[in-house]
Amino acid sequence: MSKRIERTIHYPHPIDRVWHAISDAAQISEWFIAADFRAEVGFHYTFTHESTIVRGEVLEVDPPRLLVYTWVVGDNPARTTVRWRLQATNAGTELHLEHWGFEQDPASAVAMFEASTKGWEAVTAELATYLDRSHAQH
Amino acid sequence: MPSTDTLFRALADPTRREILELLADRSDGLPITEISAHFKVSRQAVTKHLQVLRRAGLLTVTTEGRERHCTVNLRPLKKIHDWVAVYQRFWDRKLADLGQFLNRKNR
Repeated sequence: MSKRIERTIHYPHPIDRVWHAISDAAQISEWFIAADFRAEVGFHYTFTHESTIVRGEVLEVDPPRLLVYTWVVGDNPARTTVRWRLQATNAGTELHLEHWGFEQDPASAVAMFEASTKGWEAVTAELATYLDRSHAQH
Repeated sequence: MPSTDTLFRALADPTRREILELLADRSDGLPITEISAHFKVSRQAVTKHLQVLRRAGLLTVTTEGRERHCTVNLRPLKKIHDWVAVYQRFWDRKLADLGQFLNRKNR
């Protein structure tokens, strides 16, 4: 399995609007995750979702085209990186998202699961999301 | 390998999660009679739960003499716990949420 996640998606909205949605703390908090964030190189941001805290540092900013930040979950030692790239098209904006750095995670999934109750917490958190989603679809 | 959907459905029930936790501590497994003794529900109900867990790949059932014996297999949970897989689902959801947010914002 590739260790780099890549997604390309087109939104029928102008690039500035998409840029603000991904870089403005109030807007990020509306659709993504509760955010203490500023699109400034060197800014140390905090994203909070219930008991999960994501922290990182803004590495690159080039409005409205490029935003790169590190992504560290809780006290997990893996320092992953998220890159957002936007490109204006005739019909809107193409967003290219990349997320990499997972190979730094030293614990194998099964070992981690068997070693601690955190495994169950992760499973139940995923399960709750799954149930919410499948409930919403019906 | 069972689908993630099968796995999640198997884990969605609290009794089935309790069964797994009970078996997780015993690498040599437990006979079905002993498993059902831990629960208030009928033995038939426990057997049904065990079947669901077995289909999800979380249990192995072997016959020893007249007794059926269950051993837990947590490997399928790797699928859920795999960071890349978790984030793939996470980003798919979030990018869809962004689309909805932009549409709302537009009106």
